[in-house]
Amino acid sequence: MASYMSMGEAHRRITDYLNRLNDVISYQDGTSLKQLLSLSSESPSFLALADALNLFQDANRLIKQADKYSQYAEIVAPLFRAMQSYRVGHLVESYQAFEKSANAFIQEFRNWESAWALEALYVVVYEIRILAEKADRELASNGKTPEKLKAAGSFLMKVFGVLAGKGPKRVGALYVTCQLFKVYFKLGTVHLCRSVIRSIETARIFDFEEFPVRDKVTYMYYTGRLEVLNENFPAADHKLSYALKHCDPQSEANIRMILKYLVPVKLSIGIIPKKSLLEKYNLVEYSDIVLAMKRGDLRLLRHALEEHEDRFLRSGVYLVLEKLELQVYQRLVKKIYIIQKQKDPSKAHQIKLEMIVKALKWLEMEMDLDEVECIMSILIYKNLVKGYFAHKSKVAVLSKQDPFPKLNGKPINS
Amino acid sequence: MERWQPRRGRGKGNGSYSSSSQTRSNNFRPSNTSNHPTPRKPAPNHTISDISNKEDHNSSEELPNLIGSCPYMCPVDERIRRERLRDLAIFERLNGNPSESSSTLAVKKFCRTISTKDARDVDLRPVFVLEDTLNHLLDIFGSKSHPFEVIHDFIFDRTRSIRQDLSMQGIITGDQAIGIYERIVKFHIISHYKLQRNNMNSNSDSNSSPMHHLNMEQLTKTLSSLYHLYDQTHNANPEFYSFYVLLHLGSDHQPTGESLSLWLQKLPFSIMKSKEMMFSRRLLRYSRFGNYKRFLETVASEATRLQYYVLEPYICEIRALGLSCLNHGGYKLNHYPLLDLCKQLLMLESDVESFCKDCGLDTCTSEEGTKFMPSKQTSFCSPKGSPKYYPLVSKRLKTLFDEEPEII
Repeated sequence: MASYMSMGEAHRRITDYLNRLNDVISYQDGTSLKQLLSLSSESPSFLALADALNLFQDANRLIKQADKYSQYAEIVAPLFRAMQSYRVGHLVESYQAFEKSANAFIQEFRNWESAWALEALYVVVYEIRILAEKADRELASNGKTPEKLKAAGSFLMKVFGVLAGKGPKRVGALYVTCQLFKVYFKLGTVHLCRSVIRSIETARIFDFEEFPVRDKVTYMYYTGRLEVLNENFPAADHKLSYALKHCDPQSEANIRMILKYLVPVKLSIGIIPKKSLLEKYNLVEYSDIVLAMKRGDLRLLRHALEEHEDRFLRSGVYLVLEKLELQVYQRLVKKIYIIQKQKDPSKAHQIKLEMIVKALKWLEMEMDLDEVECIMSILIYKNLVKGYFAHKSKVAVLSKQDPFPKLNGKPINS
Repeated sequence: MERWQPRRGRGKGNGSYSSSSQTRSNNFRPSNTSNHPTPRKPAPNHTISDISNKEDHNSSEELPNLIGSCPYMCPVDERIRRERLRDLAIFERLNGNPSESSSTLAVKKFCRTISTKDARDVDLRPVFVLEDTLNHLLDIFGSKSHPFEVIHDFIFDRTRSIRQDLSMQGIITGDQAIGIYERIVKFHIISHYKLQRNNMNSNSDSNSSPMHHLNMEQLTKTLSSLYHLYDQTHNANPEFYSFYVLLHLGSDHQPTGESLSLWLQKLPFSIMKSKEMMFSRRLLRYSRFGNYKRFLETVASEATRLQYYVLEPYICEIRALGLSCLNHGGYKLNHYPLLDLCKQLLMLESDVESFCKDCGLDTCTSEEGTKFMPSKQTSFCSPKGSPKYYPLVSKRLKTLFDEEPEII
């Protein structure tokens, strides 16, 4: 709650802000400028300023009073409105006003030669997204169609265009790209990522290495996730691994986010994470799956998929994990082979299909000989098992050398 | 503004380009979901009304929707114009006369170039007229009066126009609209099946004709529109979600341009757990694993007629996979009896022999007359061109198709 403020104090706060803004721009003080624009930070000074504006009511008059205030009127007047609306919880109006202010800011930004205001631009871009999300929540709660986040996306594309030039401002493009990714992922319109990815990766003005590490990590994280959605495992592995490698080691939350997608990818190419890793980063949803793969336990795999079905579906990795079934079958057959080898090494490479039926039955899975033959034929076809099956005698004959080839980091060929 | 005014809106798609209907959001700012004007929320205190926000409004905010008033299947102006230009489809001609139609025969054409702001309410048909129009069209669809492709072409265009009218009026709720979209989906699915069959019979080299491809495109668009409507209601039909999954079977990985995992992320839990979705998800699992046996068996024992129509083109592909695996992994001194192949691939013996040939594999006959397929042949290839269809051996499916007439 705002404590009582006098008109005089309100007046003072507003003019203080206007003065500061003007100074900060004159001195090209990017760090201070960004603090003046960070609405959603809800810092005490912002809240007090918003209260002052709501009390004073006629900030526009103040802005027009002096040249040095009115110089940036196009930015400040709607920004004030955004603050006022934000303060009283009218987030749709706040977004609308802020977008206007941001537009004006971009126009000025364009004219500033150097990249001194880049940090401030980042704040504006961030605020646009955050305010849009809040505005959409408000719209949805009033039974209306959420549309502000989509508008924010369009705005960010504009900003991207402003930064995509030859000058020093271009290093900001990756930050904006990442904000766009967040917007598109939230909206579910991830196909829109394509055009901005193409710009970053193929435009000659951009050199990926020039971008700040933090942005590169975020970029690789999101593009890695896109590869997971499209099941391009080598590419997903490369990108998510990059993100993991360059991520701040102190930032456990971020590491967890990367691992959430990297673990299924690694599993798909036959690389199994240590239990300690899963525990350290609280990725327990994968524990049973990893165990199932180590044991060849199909029942456990099915059970794990069912138990965390909702979570896996929401993160888009369900289908990827389901496909691990192939490797679990491989492991099961290998276990039978190992057991047989202990009993009689000379005959170990011949596995009666009936044995496999029995093993599956023990796992509470009913399967007839024909289906087992079908499965063996698939495992052989996909090079998970080396050998052949004899249809007449209902036996699978394994190659004496390397009958269960490892994936070695390559996905199973379809 | 509290006064009622005829409202003009921006619908989901317009004729001038195909809007991506995978996204939740529209190409235009979506209009209000209801067709009634929404009173502006009263300001809770004095301060709010003074925050001048009129200036902050984006120019394309909430424009009203058009409400169609055309009582005929085809707007009068259009009918007269097309009569004059002799631009009437066979089904629209009165007594076969190419320059004369009637209000009971003419059906509004899909217009590629019209945009919402140019539309007039006299040209748009309200929902109940659209329903009648669809009934009329589907009667034609069910008749055998003309070659299938001619009928399909007409219905394809005119149902697209129905969808255009719905979207231009911003009609995105209501059981009637749902019913219309569902029936149009069924039309596209039956066409999908019949066009594919026609393709096979004509022995053409191309895998699928342009007509088939365009039909697929509109099928996915109609499904997307339907899902948007389902989002607003609680009586979604899960079978219509299962079609989407079934379209993703096979090597044609993203016929809809969107990753299936992404689509699944947004589905409501109740739909995910429905019998129809579980069926299609199981098929997807078998297909990705390569378990051709379970796949075919499950189709035979559980597929509904429409689900079968959607997935039939994939059956050949998975059978080819099965054949390839059995050939590849079989013991070279063991020939695989065709009779056993029949069981694995759910085919008749005569068909299996033919199918082997299609895949470049030889068969042989023993002294006793039993037929076999030798293993480890190196000549395997995927069936070329438009694959011939061999029926799935299944009593249940046969009964399904024999007994149930195709009613949309």
